[in-house]
Amino acid sequence: MSRSTLKALAVFAALTGVVFVIPAFVNDFRAQQFAYVGVYLVALTGLNILTGYTGQISLGHGAFMAIGGYTTSILMIDHGVKDIATIPFAIIVAGVAGALFGFPAARLAGLYLALATFGIALATPAVIKKFEGFTGGGTGVNLFGTPELTASLTPVKLVGFELDFNNWLYYLCWTVALVGYVVAWLILRGRTGRAFRAVRDSETAAVSSGISLTRTKVLAFGISAAYAGAAGSLFAITTTFVNPDTFPVTLSIFLLVGIVVSGLGSLKGLIAGAIFIQFMPLWSQNVSKSPGAPAVVYGVVLILLILVLPGGASGLIARLQQLTRR
Amino acid sequence: MNRKLLLTSVALVAALALGVTAALAGTVRVGSDPGITDNSILLGGTAPLTGPASQFASVARGAEAYFKYLNATKGGVNGRKISYKYADDAYNPAQSVPVTRQLVEQDKVFAIFNSLGTAHNVAVRPYLNAMKVPQLFVASGATTWGRDYAQFPYTIGFQPSYQAEGWVYGKYLARTAPGAKIAVLFQNDDYGKDLLGGLKRGLQRSKVKVIAAQPYEVTSPDVASQIAKLKASGADTLAIFATPTFAIQAYQFANKLGWKPKHVINNAVSSASTSMQIASSAGQNKLVNGTISIQFLKDPTDPTWKNDPAMKLYRTIMKKYAPSANVADPLHVYGMASAWTAADALKKAGKDLTRESLRKTLDTFTAAGNPFMLPGIAVKTAGKDHYPVEQMLLQKWQNGSWNSFGGLWGYRAS
Repeated sequence: MSRSTLKALAVFAALTGVVFVIPAFVNDFRAQQFAYVGVYLVALTGLNILTGYTGQISLGHGAFMAIGGYTTSILMIDHGVKDIATIPFAIIVAGVAGALFGFPAARLAGLYLALATFGIALATPAVIKKFEGFTGGGTGVNLFGTPELTASLTPVKLVGFELDFNNWLYYLCWTVALVGYVVAWLILRGRTGRAFRAVRDSETAAVSSGISLTRTKVLAFGISAAYAGAAGSLFAITTTFVNPDTFPVTLSIFLLVGIVVSGLGSLKGLIAGAIFIQFMPLWSQNVSKSPGAPAVVYGVVLILLILVLPGGASGLIARLQQLTRR
Repeated sequence: MNRKLLLTSVALVAALALGVTAALAGTVRVGSDPGITDNSILLGGTAPLTGPASQFASVARGAEAYFKYLNATKGGVNGRKISYKYADDAYNPAQSVPVTRQLVEQDKVFAIFNSLGTAHNVAVRPYLNAMKVPQLFVASGATTWGRDYAQFPYTIGFQPSYQAEGWVYGKYLARTAPGAKIAVLFQNDDYGKDLLGGLKRGLQRSKVKVIAAQPYEVTSPDVASQIAKLKASGADTLAIFATPTFAIQAYQFANKLGWKPKHVINNAVSSASTSMQIASSAGQNKLVNGTISIQFLKDPTDPTWKNDPAMKLYRTIMKKYAPSANVADPLHVYGMASAWTAADALKKAGKDLTRESLRKTLDTFTAAGNPFMLPGIAVKTAGKDHYPVEQMLLQKWQNGSWNSFGGLWGYRAS
């Protein structure tokens, strides 16, 4: 193993350690908020593979999260499947949906692709309402207190430790997030990752070196949507409720904001983006609650961030690394 | 691996071992109900401070202003000052859930009060009931709050249910317009469907019939085609069960098509005068005149209440505790009416206030004389009837304002 790989592994091990001990130092409720950070981290990892590495913009990832969330909820409520066992199904269903969407999307570029993906984000709530018998319609599906939902009423025992609901959610979401992170790293460091980057940098050059554009883009859409599916599944479990309004258009936009804050085309800053999505709306509320004020604070902070850190958190990390190397 | 990294790892493992033990020790809770001390009560709730429905936040602001007034002038309730902490959910139920859990688990509120929205409250209802946290006076007219009381005893609604409202329209038409043919425009969700169901129930055993009903989606751009179809049905009465934007469109399209239904019924009372004034295009649209609606609160723009002491008090409270808010917005009155009832319930639950004593108080509860509600309307629950407000007045839109008429209408859900 090379020195840089070793170093990356060590950093990752340290990160895992920190993630693992955090619940011990924060109160119960914070653990739940951090669980959401884990959920967003999963979604952002997937979206960065598509947008950051393959150069395909998506304004519709909330829709793939909805597919994952509904797969989980319907399996739990109608078929009595345990919550954890539904996650693989959510990944598969969302992944297949993403790949299918990838075929027409592979022919679109730039603004046209943005509009097409935005379209699915807009259409999803209406489609969910349309199939009321299957999805529960506008009333939604409530998971809290069902036997399929682990730990919602009584703490769960895990390797000798008793975890209450919030801490359980935290470990569940972060386990998936960290596994997803490693998988993304493995995909991106090899041949597939090179193909993704080649497509992003120049489609003509990629084709002339023997890369199939359609295959690569469909694969990127599929993988990315599978991540969104996992995130949606965790989102449903953590929120204990889904309805069409839980996956609004703004969720898709927040995800895109998230990867811009993390930095496109790098996995290093993703946690920053996830933290931004989860906590920025809360912080902006703390500044002022008068009508319209939280939205303005959010917007101003976002603009400042993009001005000061055009490369996002990843760019900042890269710059710091350069400084320490000198 | 170099030595520094090794040391870091060891330190981390040690921290982990210590930390997990500490976490396990910290989870035990003892003592009486949270959110309550000898001189304070903490209530919490969610409201859409941002997002597409942010105009509804007035419901929370009105209640907050009333509690501040109550604390300043009367020292709260039973010597306890009431703080009301409401947080933003952006009208997204996926945010209502964590925000409500934060209020319960971190801020340790005594009860959730006046949270707004149907799905938003449905989403947290099983959780709050499992935690035995009262879910007071949900700001939504869904029928489920009263209907599913046996399953969720800690949850209680407030305003008349949409079903009750529809029923009043049905009864009114059955009595005053025999033989009328009704066309209905309704929002395709529980809100619109409850209103339509209530209307049909009120029309039972009468000669009045609903001959056409057209749904629309909240996401659709307009309701032009629906209105055209309703006109084509040959109906002579139009019922609009929609949110303000679509109700305004319905008036405009019907007017453009030259359709002049005899009675028009509109449920967009919550936004009252402002949206009606827009719909009437400053008196140009004659169709708006004579529109029927219901009301259970005093409308701040209704000239009847100009010298009413309660509405004078309302304006004073708003001026002092919510100076930047729009006094003409009736949702502030809604918030105050709800807060007044909450204070009354907390008072009646006694000096030894617990979540359980509050639940029992609301089980059989009568609060008459709410100054912000129309005279004669009582907030009442008893036995299986858990619909707090079931009385309302009809009102007619005339010459640029609502004017109530007739006696109180009472609805029994059971």
